[in-house]
Amino acid sequence: MSSYHAVVIGGGGTGAAIIHDLRLRGVQATLVERGELTSGTTGRHHGQLHSGARYAVKDRSIARECMQETYILKRIAKESIENNYGLFVALDDEDLEHAPLFMQACVESGIPIKEVPVGEACEMEPNLNPQITRALMVPDGTLDAWRLPLQFFATAGHNGAAIHTFSPVTGFHYGGSAVTGVRAYDLKTRSERTIGADLVINATGAWAGQVTRMADVEIPITPGPGTMVAVRKRLTNMVISHLHPADDGDILVPQRGLSIIGTTQYRTDDPDDIAVPEEDIANMYACADTLVPSFSAQKYHAAWIAARPLVGAASSADDARNLSRDFSVVDHGKSDGREGLLTVIGGKATVLRAMAEQTVDLVCAKLGIDEPCRTANTELLSHRAYFT
Amino acid sequence: MDEKQCTFRIYRSNIDHDGAECNVRREEFSLAVNARMTVLDALEVIRRDQDSSLMYRHSCHHGSCGTCGMLINGKRRLACLTQATALDGDRIDLEPLRTMTLLGDLAVDPSPLFADFPRNATYVRESEVNRDCRKPFEIDRWERFEDCIECGLCVSSCPVTESFMGPAALAAHNREIINRPERRRELLAEVNTERGAWPCTRALNCSRVCPTGVYPAMHIAELRKKVEEDGLTPAAEPGEQRSAETTP
Ligand SMILES: Cc1cc2nc3c(=O)[nH]c(=O)nc-3n(C[C@H](O)[C@H](O)[C@H](O)COP(=O)(O)OP(=O)(O)OC[C@H]3O[C@@H](n4cnc5c(N)ncnc54)[C@H](O)[C@@H]3O)c2cc1C
Ligand code: SF4
Ligand code: FES
Repeated sequence: MSSYHAVVIGGGGTGAAIIHDLRLRGVQATLVERGELTSGTTGRHHGQLHSGARYAVKDRSIARECMQETYILKRIAKESIENNYGLFVALDDEDLEHAPLFMQACVESGIPIKEVPVGEACEMEPNLNPQITRALMVPDGTLDAWRLPLQFFATAGHNGAAIHTFSPVTGFHYGGSAVTGVRAYDLKTRSERTIGADLVINATGAWAGQVTRMADVEIPITPGPGTMVAVRKRLTNMVISHLHPADDGDILVPQRGLSIIGTTQYRTDDPDDIAVPEEDIANMYACADTLVPSFSAQKYHAAWIAARPLVGAASSADDARNLSRDFSVVDHGKSDGREGLLTVIGGKATVLRAMAEQTVDLVCAKLGIDEPCRTANTELLSHRAYFT
Repeated sequence: MDEKQCTFRIYRSNIDHDGAECNVRREEFSLAVNARMTVLDALEVIRRDQDSSLMYRHSCHHGSCGTCGMLINGKRRLACLTQATALDGDRIDLEPLRTMTLLGDLAVDPSPLFADFPRNATYVRESEVNRDCRKPFEIDRWERFEDCIECGLCVSSCPVTESFMGPAALAAHNREIINRPERRRELLAEVNTERGAWPCTRALNCSRVCPTGVYPAMHIAELRKKVEEDGLTPAAEPGEQRSAETTP
């Protein structure tokens, strides 16, 4: 094992996968999270395991990555996945016109896509809108937003990672201009803790800009909140998506005994300042009913909102929708003269492992550690192992 | 939307460096809540605007992760599924679940809940929805996650005072036997112990309080039946039946 020590800030899916990867490559690792694990965006996301089909038309490389990661997660974290596939359904002529482009993009992205005759689709999912005119099947699925990251945390913890919750980072320590550690406030004991580090990895998602600002560094990140609404009945087993360019309320994700419609797209400056706009609720019900007409007849369960960590600057919601779902790892030593600090921005919950691989590749390159990434072939422990 | 001014009376405490609870107090926060807001939404606003040191657990905000269980006006509930305006009056009392290890304020470490869960139990089961419908040939069965979100509300409501595996772990044992019948012998041996399926007094608090309809008491009864069916000698007398003693 190397004697290098890395500190990860942020206990969402990205931080979870990074600390697991660091430990598998023998790097000592500590993670600090301001609240409970996955209490930022990760726990609140829509729960879709993305085959990548949704992104294929716009961005083949993101779509390909989603597909690869879907295959990997089904291998290493199958206990956190409802593996039922997904249907993209056409509702009108415009959708039908979009279909060939969509199919070609999926094929070019390596996503196995299959035509399901409409009659058969309605036999598989009897609650589907019987008016659908076409149905295409892709390997989507449902994720457990809390238990998938917990599987990474559990495995990292059993491999010796230190994980501190309820410990917001309040500042950095420096040697010259380089970051050499973090200051974290332990809310449990109401005391400050200093943690030295050879490298600090900022994995705070939509909060990443707030954290880099503590080190006088600006990064282009736009928190993009979106609403989800759940009703108390599982109406389908497959994820049902509207076959058209990505828009509001066009994905219905089943999970346990729930059906969840999402989502919308806003922009905000402060990811803590988010509340479900009341008009979203009726809008989401109406969107869901076009896919599964009995949705709004079910009992209301919950409505909630979460902020996407979008890469780039946007001044409006439309701008925000056009921001890429891709991710990048910023080396602030190179870009801002602030050695010792890396920031991971963007991405999706589905590609958490790939984000970690790219980040830890850079960590190893910077520290001179020659260890390959092993996370794609390491089966994760049960989420319950985090607590036992 | 209609707003109501509410006072949240919140249990506050910290732990000292030896892990002992200290500085116990109740603090009040006043907040206008609307009909859509849950107790969890209110806590988020209080933490953002009034006291950034407030500790509580949360993740999914829709009753799937099981982290936000607490005592709300004395009742065991998920903060994310409890509408603040639907509670009687304008004072809302919040306390942590004491059957887990306190971390501070409303936050607990749920580790004790998992101590008696079956090892490596699967969390994915067959979906009963459209079970007999046509399936794509790529999959053998429709599947979904277990109903139990591991919130610990059942354990916290259970009146049994002697050493007891508790409703959540026992329900998980029965679910694992249903999911993987090949583990039946092994798992029945685990629950056919003095602190296994027998101390239950059928107070049924667990089934009443469970937010996802697991009905742990029914699983405990099924486990006892399976012990009998398999011709095993019960490790203890069943707990004497009594009616609910604590508020669920
Ligand atoms: C509405 C919506 C729906 C989505 N649906 C899907 C989906 O279906 N499928 C999918 O794959 N992806 C989905 N996503 C995307 C996905 O949720 C995110 O990309 C992913 O969860 C981001 O994870 P993260 O770990 O980078 O960020 P986060 O989960 O936000 O983690 C960052 C963490 O940093 C912590 N933090 C902040 N400041 C500090 C500090 N000072 N000190 C310590 N810790 C700090 C926060 O508390 C937080 O826990 C969705 C996103 C949104 C908004
Ligand atoms: S059985 Fe119900 S109350 Fe008990 S832990 Fe599971 S979900 Fe919570
Ligand atoms: S926050 Fe997940 S159950 Fe309440």
